[in-house]
Amino acid sequence: MIDKKFIAELSKIVGKEAVLTSKEDLNAYSYDGTATWVHMPDVVVLPTTAEQVSRILKLADDNQIPVTPRGAGTNVSGGSIPIKGGIVLCTTRMNKILDINKANLTATVEPGVVLHDLNLALAKQSLFYPPDPQSFLGCTIGGTVAENAGGPYCVKYGVTKQYILGLEVVLANGYIMKLGGVTVKNRTGYELMMLFTGSEGTLGVITKITLKLIPMPLANKTMMAVFDDIAVGGQAVSNILASGVVPAKIEFVDNFILRRIEEMTPMGLPVEAKALMLLQADGSPAAVEAEAQQIVDVLKKSGAKEVRVAKDADEAMKYWKMRSAGFAATYGAAHTVLSEDVAVPRDRLADFIHKLEEISARTGFFICYLGHAGDGNLHPSIFTDIRNKEEFTRAQQAMEEIFEAALSVGGVLSGEHGIGLEKQRFLKKAMDPVALSLMRKIKGILDPNHILNPGKVWEEEKV
Amino acid sequence: MAKTKQDRYEQIKRFEGDLGQCMKCGFCTFWCPVYQEERVEPSVARGKNMMIRGLLAGDLDYTKEYASRLNKCTLCMTCTANCPAKANIPNVIVAARADAVKARGLKFPYNIAYRWLLPRRTLFGRVVRFASWFQGIFLPKTEGTIRHLSMFLSALGKGRNIPQIAPRFLREIVPVVNRPPEGVKTVMRVGYFTGCMTDFTMPELGKHIIDFLTRNGVEVIVPREQGCCGAPVFLGAGDFDTGRKMADTNVKAFEGLDYVISDCATCTSSLKDYAKFLADTPEREKAYTSFKEKVKDISQFLVDVLKLPASAYQAAPAVKGKKVTWHDPCHLNRHLGITSQPRQIIKSIPDIEYIEMPNADRCCGMAGSFSLYYYDLSKQIADKKVEAIKSTGADIVVTSCPGCEIQLIDSLLRNKVPVKVMHIMELLA
Repeated sequence: MIDKKFIAELSKIVGKEAVLTSKEDLNAYSYDGTATWVHMPDVVVLPTTAEQVSRILKLADDNQIPVTPRGAGTNVSGGSIPIKGGIVLCTTRMNKILDINKANLTATVEPGVVLHDLNLALAKQSLFYPPDPQSFLGCTIGGTVAENAGGPYCVKYGVTKQYILGLEVVLANGYIMKLGGVTVKNRTGYELMMLFTGSEGTLGVITKITLKLIPMPLANKTMMAVFDDIAVGGQAVSNILASGVVPAKIEFVDNFILRRIEEMTPMGLPVEAKALMLLQADGSPAAVEAEAQQIVDVLKKSGAKEVRVAKDADEAMKYWKMRSAGFAATYGAAHTVLSEDVAVPRDRLADFIHKLEEISARTGFFICYLGHAGDGNLHPSIFTDIRNKEEFTRAQQAMEEIFEAALSVGGVLSGEHGIGLEKQRFLKKAMDPVALSLMRKIKGILDPNHILNPGKVWEEEKV
Repeated sequence: MAKTKQDRYEQIKRFEGDLGQCMKCGFCTFWCPVYQEERVEPSVARGKNMMIRGLLAGDLDYTKEYASRLNKCTLCMTCTANCPAKANIPNVIVAARADAVKARGLKFPYNIAYRWLLPRRTLFGRVVRFASWFQGIFLPKTEGTIRHLSMFLSALGKGRNIPQIAPRFLREIVPVVNRPPEGVKTVMRVGYFTGCMTDFTMPELGKHIIDFLTRNGVEVIVPREQGCCGAPVFLGAGDFDTGRKMADTNVKAFEGLDYVISDCATCTSSLKDYAKFLADTPEREKAYTSFKEKVKDISQFLVDVLKLPASAYQAAPAVKGKKVTWHDPCHLNRHLGITSQPRQIIKSIPDIEYIEMPNADRCCGMAGSFSLYYYDLSKQIADKKVEAIKSTGADIVVTSCPGCEIQLIDSLLRNKVPVKVMHIMELLA
């Protein structure tokens, strides 16, 4: 039970100033980036060291108090909502970049380092850490590891898990465990780091991360293509990849979002286009030239109505800024926006888009899309109003059909946002039952009292 | 009759659009100067917005904690400028401060300072002068100026380097009507809103501005009836009733003049904000809106209205050969969108070297009464500005807001950085 004595114990560990208990403060840790999930914690703690995290977890485990690890609360799956109350363990004050090693191409950071702060520090040394969830201005590295986040660059460079070389994780019983190291190759035992990468805070609290870096690509080129038919755009993505070139990013937005962006920030976009695709080639200057040409050729052959190559960095920036405004454009469009995160095989994109159009026609809900076309990860959004119960229920059913459609073409529930609270009711359908049961057993071993982020990923709490 | 919920949150409801616009993405955490220091959610726009939503939903109430979190914002507008949904949370914060004051009143000593003293210019002047005697006794004299009495009193206890109060106020040394000298054709007639700080502590700056304008054919009227702009009262403390009295006084003082110019970014922005926050009747709406159009920042006036040729900007003897950098006051940059005009002026001056500061538009952490409530936090924010100033290698940092000037003087002295702080107009001969 969380009583005065318990709060006093927490204060002993992290200091009084780092324990928040007022209603006003608890309210500020009751939400994340999702539209609908809200739950108040009983207390918020802001540790600054792994030792403090360890003592907090030990105390919580002894008292069977739920602990929800949280970074900046920018996730969009409900992952950091303290749905069972208890403690929110917030890592935002563990924000030191411990080491950037240009000769070994690694960086070691505390979990609360903001992704963009790391990027700025790396850029000074011409280094590059590719995974780029579009919440990079707010999200913490710890959060991106726990969610195994991805973003536009992942077409070519892969997602967070491909960059983790070492982790320090505090287990539910308070043990501070070290995994991996600072080498690119490491064949020592099971890949336990991968257990915690994408664990959504249910298996341990990540307190230190060593990341693999790459040198900053010397050149890049941005292209924009206009399509009359979204499915033709989807086919173009497959054609580009099949032609033997992997662009750094392939993103697209549909007509609705395009218009909204143009309304919000007029920049002369072709608002009549059904879909707009943004692509980037990067690498050495000569390679970029050749790749860009090849991409343009394939786009034209695949039926793009218009292809523009950005003349300079300013024009390129303009296009990418538009893409990053995409989410704001959708979220501002209706009282409640249900936005999903399915990923499908890239050669099935066109099929999947056809299915979405059919669902939209059948259910009467307008579905808009934006997403990372290059890795088959789309964010179809349904506009609704949570205050209208009947409509909201139908909207949720329509979303369920979208999941089914994604699974039917060999896709997955979530490309980069995670399961959290949003998608747990679909987990059973999307996973092999034996794998699911194995996951439960692993959870049972690592967190026998189920104190870590209870109510997440799993439909039921205990095995 | 009991107040309805609608009444209780009257001001917040006016900004419901902004309140609802936040989609909780959390990108504001990267830009908020307060969050960057504290790294807790209640510091940032998203957290404050959700707190106000909580109030409206009946989950939260007017508590000490609520007030403290609401006050902990510099209104720098960096969140809004970078918000993907363009949610103007500072609007909501000011409105929420107003509703809180309406419901709960102001606390001592702010009630005395804001309701009673600031609206009475002559009395305020006397009290400031009285306070200055103590300043001479208790504190080492430093450069610059003092902005508000309450701030001065608070600073006494906290060791801030505060500027000294002038032996004679601006209003005591310049006439109401200041005509161009013999042989210079009068091209325009403007009112000069002096602001508390130029009036009480930097009269020589005011005199210099009047001389510069008259030499360039502008007749400058300094109405004696003008008072404090009201920023600490209605924006800082949320006392809209007193704010309206101050607004009415100022609007009336400048009646019949085409332009009202100000050398203070905060004053300029606040005078313009009367229309947004204080217009409670159609008459006030009309009066404040037309007043808003007349108010111009000094650099904006010189560049956009008077359209002076580059040759009009000559270096004052003391700044010749110096390296100069510019700090964007939040009220000038994000509140009013004035960024190019001051730079254009500085770059036009021969014999000085202009160096752009990294993050020139980052808040200095002063924010009026914010630095009263949270002096330590204010210092932490200022230290980042000091680093940026240092990195330029400039001899002088110029700005166009006395509030920022106080903060820059205090933090440069505290960090022992020998860079001089000046108002942009002081660069000019």
